[in-house]
Amino acid sequence: MARAFLREKGHYVALLEPTERTVLLGLMQQTRLLLSPEIEPTGDAFDDLVASMGLSLSPADQQTDSASLDDRDPALDRLLPTAHRGDDEIAAEFRRLTEEGLRQRKSGNLDVALACVDGAVGNRVVLDESQAPAFLMALTDVRLLLGERMGMRTEEDAEALHAAMDDIDDDDPLGYAMAWYDFLTWLQETLTQALMGTDLRDVVAAYDDDLDDDLDDDGRRPDGTV
Amino acid sequence: MSPATLSLAPVEQEETSTDEVVAPDVPWVTIVWNDPVNLMTYVTWVFETYFGYARPKAEKLMMDVHVKGRAVVSNGPRESMERDAEALQGYGLWATFEKDS
Repeated sequence: MARAFLREKGHYVALLEPTERTVLLGLMQQTRLLLSPEIEPTGDAFDDLVASMGLSLSPADQQTDSASLDDRDPALDRLLPTAHRGDDEIAAEFRRLTEEGLRQRKSGNLDVALACVDGAVGNRVVLDESQAPAFLMALTDVRLLLGERMGMRTEEDAEALHAAMDDIDDDDPLGYAMAWYDFLTWLQETLTQALMGTDLRDVVAAYDDDLDDDLDDDGRRPDGTV
Repeated sequence: MSPATLSLAPVEQEETSTDEVVAPDVPWVTIVWNDPVNLMTYVTWVFETYFGYARPKAEKLMMDVHVKGRAVVSNGPRESMERDAEALQGYGLWATFEKDS
């Protein structure tokens, strides 16, 4: 059973079992793949320079009409949402100027997180001060992707999904996905708390994966999502 | 135009008619929208980390997002708001910018 991220001598340390690490790595790799920048570092000085400016050279992004966005994976719209509601032209221009840079930064966070999980020794996933925020942002993007794949777009969707877990078949993939989503939520919550200076040692440091306990007595979700 | 003609002296401009006058620097705003995935603690942490807001202010803005569905988290010139929206999207928040109304 996983243990929360706790602060230990200037580092943030969680205990994750091999299965938990394997699933986490898989989900992070999928998110990394979806977000992959158009231009990975190439070794070509000029291409890398252009890429570092965050400008997309993709022909699709040179268009300001929304037709090219229709084919986009909806999860991308969740990870790289429109930045202006009401003016498509401003939104398209913003996307053209920022999307490549955002993809690079998000991919970079995921690379850091992947290396940290991959480098675990004896179940210990250890993050230093600079890796912890990257790990936190990577977990956010993984949860955004997983949430989108489960159709969790509004608060109502989230509540309906959690409610449906009560009668779901054990072998339903949705239940499986939801269980991992809840696990990631818990993991992210503990790392956030640790970064904000809360010591979880006395509260709840071990993960309780019993789905029946997902709702508090008053029916609220325990994960504190906004 | 050759470089020699460049001058930093103020250039006399033709008077513009009133319809052409650009709206006086109307501030723009950055907005964060509610979503079912982002954690309340995480959103608070982002506001503290990115803006340097103190805990009470960060928590109040987070609660506004949570309860009202959206909150204006910063205001200023358009370029700054674009920068804020981009940074907050980097954190995974649903951030937009618009002209303050």
